[in-house]
This record gives sequence, structure tokens and C-alpha cells, in this order.
Amino acid sequence: MVAFLCNWCSYAGADKAGMNQLPVPHEVTVIRVMCSGRVEPTLVLEAFQKGADGVMVLACHPGDCHYKEGNLRAFCRAELLQRLVPQLGIDSARFKFDYVSAAEAEKFSQVTLEFVTSIRALGSPATSLVDPHGN
Amino acid sequence: MRTPGKTAVILCTCSGIISEKLDWAQVQLALASHWTQPLFRIDELACGADNLTALGQWLQAEQPDRVVVAACSPREHEKTFRGLMQDAGLNPWFMQLVNVREQAAWVTDTPAHTAQKVVRLLSAALERVWLQEPLEERRMPVRTEVAIIGAGPAGMQAALTLARAGRKVTLIEREPFIGGLPVRFEELFPNLECGPCLLEPVMADLLHGTESEHMKLLTLASVTEVKGSFGNWILTVKQRPRFVTDACIGCMMCALPCPAKRPNGWNVAGELSAVDVAFMGSLPNLPFVDERTCLKLQGEPCDACLSECPVPGAFDFDDAGRELIIEAGAIILATGAVELEGLPVPFSGLENVVPAYAFERLLSMNGPTGGELLKHDGSKPQSLAIVQCAGSLDGEVAYCSGTCCKAALKYAHIAAVKEEGLTVTRLVRDMVVPGVEAAQLLRQDHAQVVRYGGMKDLGVEVNPNGRWITLPGETRVPADLIVLCRPIVPSQGTTAASLLFELDTNGAGFIAPLHTLSGSCTSPLKGVYLAGACRGPGDIREAFATGTAAAGFALSDLVEGRDLVVDPQVAVVDPEACSGCRTCVPVCPYQAISWKPEEKVAEVADFLCRGCGTCVAACPSGAITGQGFSRDMLRAELGGALS
Repeated sequence: MVAFLCNWCSYAGADKAGMNQLPVPHEVTVIRVMCSGRVEPTLVLEAFQKGADGVMVLACHPGDCHYKEGNLRAFCRAELLQRLVPQLGIDSARFKFDYVSAAEAEKFSQVTLEFVTSIRALGSPATSLVDPHGN
Repeated sequence: MRTPGKTAVILCTCSGIISEKLDWAQVQLALASHWTQPLFRIDELACGADNLTALGQWLQAEQPDRVVVAACSPREHEKTFRGLMQDAGLNPWFMQLVNVREQAAWVTDTPAHTAQKVVRLLSAALERVWLQEPLEERRMPVRTEVAIIGAGPAGMQAALTLARAGRKVTLIEREPFIGGLPVRFEELFPNLECGPCLLEPVMADLLHGTESEHMKLLTLASVTEVKGSFGNWILTVKQRPRFVTDACIGCMMCALPCPAKRPNGWNVAGELSAVDVAFMGSLPNLPFVDERTCLKLQGEPCDACLSECPVPGAFDFDDAGRELIIEAGAIILATGAVELEGLPVPFSGLENVVPAYAFERLLSMNGPTGGELLKHDGSKPQSLAIVQCAGSLDGEVAYCSGTCCKAALKYAHIAAVKEEGLTVTRLVRDMVVPGVEAAQLLRQDHAQVVRYGGMKDLGVEVNPNGRWITLPGETRVPADLIVLCRPIVPSQGTTAASLLFELDTNGAGFIAPLHTLSGSCTSPLKGVYLAGACRGPGDIREAFATGTAAAGFALSDLVEGRDLVVDPQVAVVDPEACSGCRTCVPVCPYQAISWKPEEKVAEVADFLCRGCGTCVAACPSGAITGQGFSRDMLRAELGGALS
């Protein structure tokens, strides 16, 4: 699983989870970007193309973006991706967008654990294709 | 086909903290067959001073083309290892720091899983680092002059602070006089100190103090156009004609014989001659001629002022005003706030009802009544009712302006002193009087206090015995003279500035700062700083403090002789790939992207760009490169992570 984390909020939250020795599933590989607004939809799709079982984008809470509104762009793109991903046969549950602040170590641990658990239940993307409506 | 070269990989054990959860030997084994053929070196504490020296020597000897460091979070030590690269004579941008401590060793369940994760993270970094470009820091010369819009206490304080540091300042003021609002207040809360005693030395310093040679004051002036950017602003200033020259000695002999009169908006009552000053004591001590009132300027024969004027050449009726171009490195907006116009129901249209700032003039010796508390008909009021929160926390304005409660306490006190036996009542929705100094004001208040729920609760009753403000139930407040503490809203100048600079305003129209808490004196537009009430309602203390703060920003951002160093991790538009759709232009929160109409492409100003990458992701043509976080680098990182 791949998680795109933004430097100022979610990446800092992930660091804080580390400082607090909270559990984070080993399957999650973090890709650091400066802002969740940097994450273009094609990167998420390429992640699936390269074999990711799940992709997360974790952004700053609305109003807290270090660059003012990047996280709002990310949210809009996430909405698009939720609808786009089933068109490629991938269950939309395999893509997750959420907010994690620099203080939310617990949330980071929880969100990643929940995500990995749900992905494990789905199995591999190849064996769990969906139709464009997500079935 | 990527060019093969030498890749050095430094594995930090963080004094054993990382290595107790992670077997570096296992990791090296797993990566031994990686196409980059990494050259590993284990270090006990890579960030330690001695270790860095040793590592530097090692790197200098080995001369790798790329370096990956596996250690703690880049949020902690990215700079340290870039510095290491630089000291070893290598390009600092050819380094990637991989977080194996906070995000692997400390959070993963088993050592086996940790090793697997770290191998993936290092594979990702090895792929990415080979696509990293040799970025260069650009240096840019900047101007250190500052233009300040607004000469109230905030603007004046900013100007003086800068002038004392030797900076050249241009102060642009739209009124014919300086001092903003408080120059019209005789006493200031919370200590009821003398307003002119506070402000006159400040204004004197500005006009003829030792640093005044560094300051250029333009009155009757406003900014009509702004071009350029931080370090190199170009402002177009239009200055309206005063029709009075520098030869004038300020004797004011001209005002007396002038036959043309106009209402005095600054005094809120009374009249001014066509040639006059706004009020006695206003500075600079120069009258100005009102074009629409002056008979001579209307084409009618009149020489009343000229015949009384003792100085030849003090008048210039051919003055057409002028347009000036001001160049500055930074701009400070100090355009301030005003009272909300109009009076709310049930008070609109009634006599002897004044808003707070008009009441200030009634209390001032240089005001329309010479400082006596008088009704419109010239008689003395028996009762004074001060309505606090008049229009705030309500339909008109939802927020508290924070200054009116202290003002109301001040008015109650001063009025009671001026008129012995005066019945003073304060009508209150909520009181906001924080702070130690204001406690005195509160403690010494002898006014009657009546609570009311909202403007709709209030009525006005007039009968042969007098006038009352009525409240639900039996409550009636005697109200010969009524003062309404109106909400404070952005001034015309503040609204104009927000449009001119394309700055976001918050819900109430005040200019939105970069950050409400940590950056309230700077705007998101680099090189434009904020002082005083243009940021939101505030008092004189805040005006002085934020004036100094804004000047502080200008002093630290623009240092004489110091070039601006531009971070290279910015967005760059490839003009060949740009389709001219302009999707990127409004997406940038820092207005760093401009449209070039001749070349028909977008361009990013690198010194304004903060490297967020939103435009990079937004571009439908993929024409923008996010330096340091390019599409190819992130793809490679993904590839390595998922291999």
C-alpha cells in the first residue's frame, strides 16, 4: 500500500506516531510530498498500475493547509478518483482520502491499520475486479 | 536509459536506536543486487558533528554521483545532510533522506517486517535520487525602500520604525491630514490620556524629526495601480490638488474671509470654508481648497483668500494634481477601519443621536461645540444614553469590534465630568473589557447599566417630559442625548487595497493575513505587510504594535546589500508544453503565476512560489515541473516502493 503524505500535516503526524511508538502496518510505504495538492490523479492511477493494493492520500484538515488551499484541491481530486477508479476495475474502497494533522499520531496509526485490514479482506485487485458501478 | 554512476548509501544506526529494531546486514543483502550497486556505509550517529566530518571526508574521497541517507525524518535532518553534500563538494540536491526511524523502526511490529519495509523505502529512494536534478539557488537583488499606504498610528509607527533604521519610506495618505482616526479623539482609553499629547510628538517626528529626511509624505494621495512584486514593486500614485503650496505658513487668515461654505464631514457638524483645515490642529499645518465649493475654481471671480494671504505664491489655483511612480521593495497596508455608516432602527432619522466617533468630536475642544456637551439646539442635555453593541452581534454585523466597550466607559466618565448631575446610562448586550489597565475604567464607572437583548428590543418614546429609550417590560432609560457604539468595519481604503492587490478578505471584508495566529501582520502576497485595523477591528495600542511588526517584517525580509535567495524547489512552466489554458493562474494561493499575453504562456515567478505543487497537479498538459518533486521522481519512487 502506498500513502501520499504532506510534509506539514500528515507526514508530521506519521512522525509523531513514530515518536509515540504507535503501531503502523508495515505494508504502508510513504511517499512524501510538500502538499497534498501536489498529488495528481494520474499518480494515484499509476500506483495501482504498478501493483498497489491500496492507495491513501492524507491531507491537512480544511483550513489548516500550510499552502492555504492545496488540501481542498486534493479533496476535489479525491472525489473524482473515487468515481474514476472503478472504471478501471478497481474497487473504490482501495483508494482512501482522509485528514491527519501534525498532532494526530493516534489517527494516523488508526487510519492506516483500518485501511490495511480492509484491503486484506478484499484480497488482491486482480482477483477482485469491479464493474464501473463498483459491483 | 539512465546513466549508471556511483550511489553511496549511508545507514545510520542512531546510536543503536534504529539498529535494535532493524538488521542493517539484512537490508544490505537485499539491496546488493539493485541496479544502482549501492556503496554502503554504516554510521553510529550520522548527524553528530564528528561523524559528519568523517562522512564528509568519505564522500569527498568516494565522489558518488548520488547519495541516499537512511536515518530519521527529513523534517529533522534534511538540511543537515544537504549541508554535508555541500561541504563534500557535491550537489546538495543529489541527496535523498529516507525516514527509517520514525516511520519504520519505531512503528513496525517485527524486525523482519521492518527490514522488508526499509528495503522498499530504500528502493524507492534509489530510483528517485537518480532522477533528481542539480538545482541551483538563484540570487536576486531587491530594493529596500518601503511604501506605506495610510498615515494613521499604524502607518506612522511603521514609517518611523523604518526611517530609524535608515530605510527610505513613502507614506501615502488619502486625507489632507495625517493621524487617521485617533487624531480626532481628545482622550484615549483606558487611562483617559490626552490624545493630542500622544499623537502630536509622533506626527512631529514624522514631519520634521531627525529621520524625516528618510520619509516622504504624500497627502491627498491614493494608489491607483500596482505592478511588479516583492523586492521590486512599482506603484502609481495619484495626488489630488491642494491648491496650496509649500510657501504657506499655516496662518489660516484665508479661511475667515472665504464666502463659500461646505459641511464639515470630519467634525460631523458645523461648516468649513472652501479653503480651510479639517479641524484646528490637524497636520500638516496647511489648508486645502475644496474644488467643488471654491468660487474661483468654479469660474466665478473671487479673491477673498488671496487678498488676506501674507505670503506671495502660497496659492496655486492652476494646481492640477500629479501622478507619481513610487518604487519600493515592500508595501505596508495601514488603511484602517471606520464605523459602519447609518443608524439602526429605532434611531435613524432622530435628532440628538450620534455614533461614537461623532461623539468624540462633541467631546473635543477643537470640535463643533468647543468640547461642551450640547444638543443640536444648543441646550444642555439632562441625560445621556450610550447604546453599546449598537448593530453588532446582530443582523448588521456578527462580530464584536472589541473597542466600543472601553470607549463607552470613557464616554460615560467624560460626560459625567463635563456635566454635573447628568444621568448617564449604558445599554449593554455583552461587555468586553479585558486587561489590567481597563479594570480601572470599569471600577470607576458610575453609569447606570441596563442590559438589552438586541436592537429589536429597543424603542424610542418622546413626550412633553422628554425622551426615553424603551425596553421590554417597564424599563425606560432617559435619553436626551444618545450615543450609539457602532460596529467597526473596513474603510474605503482597505476595500480598495484588497481589490488592488487581489487579496482575500475574511468574511467581514478585512484583509486576510497569511495566518490568523502566527502571521497576522503579513499578507499571503510576499512583500505586502499589514498593520492596524485593516486586518480587523483593534485599538490604538494594537495599531502601534502592528505598525512596528509590519516594519519588522520589511526590515528582516529586505536587508540592504543582501540579495534575495530563491529556493530552487519551485514550479517551472515549460513554455513549449504550455497550451495557454490558464488553469494554473488562479490556482496559486500566492499569485505567483502570471499570464504572458504576448507569448501566450503562463509563467511562475520563482521568488513568489512556495513549492506546494498544486499548479503542477492542476496543469492539464503536464507542462509544469515541480522542481525537487517532479512527476518522474514521484513515479520512480512509486516504482521502487511497489517493486
